[in-house]
Amino acid sequence: MPSPDLLALAVTLKMAALTTVILLLIGTPLAWFLAKMTSRFKVIIEAIVALPLVLPPTVLGFYLLIAFSPQHLPGQIWQQATGQQLAFSFSAIVIGSVLYSLPFVVQPLQKAFEQLGDSVLEAGAMLGAGPIDRFFTIVLPLTKASFITAASLGFAHTVGEFGVILMIGGNIPGETRVLSIALFDHVEAFDYAKAHVLAISLLIGSMILLAGVYLLNLPHRKTRK
Amino acid sequence: MLLSTLYPLILISSLLCMSLSVASNHNIEQPLRIAVAANFTPVLKKLLIEFHQQTNINTQIISGATGALFLQIKHGAPFDIYIAADSIRPQRLEQQNLILTDSRKTYAIGQLALLSMNKKSRLSDLARPPKYFAIANPDIAPYGKAAKQTLQYLGLWQQYQHSLITGININQTFAQVRSQAVSSGLVANSQLVLNKLDGVVIPSSYHHPIQQQLVIIKNRDNIAQAKRLSQFLLSPKIQQTIVSFGYANNALLLQEKAPHKKVQQEKSNAKP
Repeated sequence: MPSPDLLALAVTLKMAALTTVILLLIGTPLAWFLAKMTSRFKVIIEAIVALPLVLPPTVLGFYLLIAFSPQHLPGQIWQQATGQQLAFSFSAIVIGSVLYSLPFVVQPLQKAFEQLGDSVLEAGAMLGAGPIDRFFTIVLPLTKASFITAASLGFAHTVGEFGVILMIGGNIPGETRVLSIALFDHVEAFDYAKAHVLAISLLIGSMILLAGVYLLNLPHRKTRK
Repeated sequence: MLLSTLYPLILISSLLCMSLSVASNHNIEQPLRIAVAANFTPVLKKLLIEFHQQTNINTQIISGATGALFLQIKHGAPFDIYIAADSIRPQRLEQQNLILTDSRKTYAIGQLALLSMNKKSRLSDLARPPKYFAIANPDIAPYGKAAKQTLQYLGLWQQYQHSLITGININQTFAQVRSQAVSSGLVANSQLVLNKLDGVVIPSSYHHPIQQQLVIIKNRDNIAQAKRLSQFLLSPKIQQTIVSFGYANNALLLQEKAPHKKVQQEKSNAKP
């Protein structure tokens, strides 16, 4: 049996990795759609995407808790489809994280897609590349740095998430107890020694991840200027 | 590049998925899940060692704020037994028909204490409001409510209005005083005992009794085990241990055997 904190680390990494994958899969088309959108409804969708940046996490968590509970429709639909309760499950904290970290993935991608000129895509089309081909051979290589930024920010932000998971997770070891909650538990129990260990490892881990992102982006930024 | 970024992530996540699902398949029997108020968690952890020796029942502690745990149970959290820091939330769960009939029991009576880190505290210190004074939020925390009642009983509530620093729960209040961020405050006596600190216990006649109650959640698989834990916590021997951790003598427990008298007792306790 691994130590409780290692178990929390495993749950955290698993949650953040899954969240990042899902966010890239839905964030990329959404960012592309927003970048190319000209309708005046664009600002409304942009505002909704940015909402988790300003909304207190406990507020988002509270409403997700209500939505996910077996008494309400979204929770009931999930239960019928999967046979399992949504609230207080690992799936619940992944869905919560996807919503909560959405702007961190969509915004850098949208910026990158907006800066991408139409001319390169038109050139590609003239050479006979289909839309999917153009995305993988033109868009992706040109916006590589933004994808790395988006994925890393989404991942790092999910690792640091607290309020939403506290509400919808239920702090269940091996299932929904993540590092930030384990850290909070140690502080609440006045077990400051364990809390310090977790805090310092979270700090160092995040530092390395972010420094890595900026390092990867460095040559790219230089060539642009 | 997208794919090369994704592959390690997919690999890691699938490996973790596998390792975790293997781990969870091993223990087929679900441990008894205990949702416990944060301020009782350290005491419970100590008591559970003996409980496991006696019964061989495996337990899992989910520690949190009484209010947050209440909200989660209301929305279907998979907890077997709820050990709250007050009696209001257990009562509400009972009204909402979410608990096993007659499972609501008072397992401990909280005591309030005056704590000051930089000088020896005396009860008479309360007469002069310091610049800052820490109590838990009277509207949401049971120890905060008792602190407000104490200050009201002493006729000092108005004078303290500008010095009060209110924590979201008694643990935050304790952390504020212990770290000397606030010079003094009213905390739980159990916190002083656990941390070997000196303070003054507030006479229990100054406020309504801080009844900490537990309930067994309905429609769960571990009801028999939850009952064992409830009986264990209410047994005379363990009650004595709980008192030694800084709680008051649980006189209410004796009255629970005669439920009709209990109502009267609660009423007579209502006026300190």
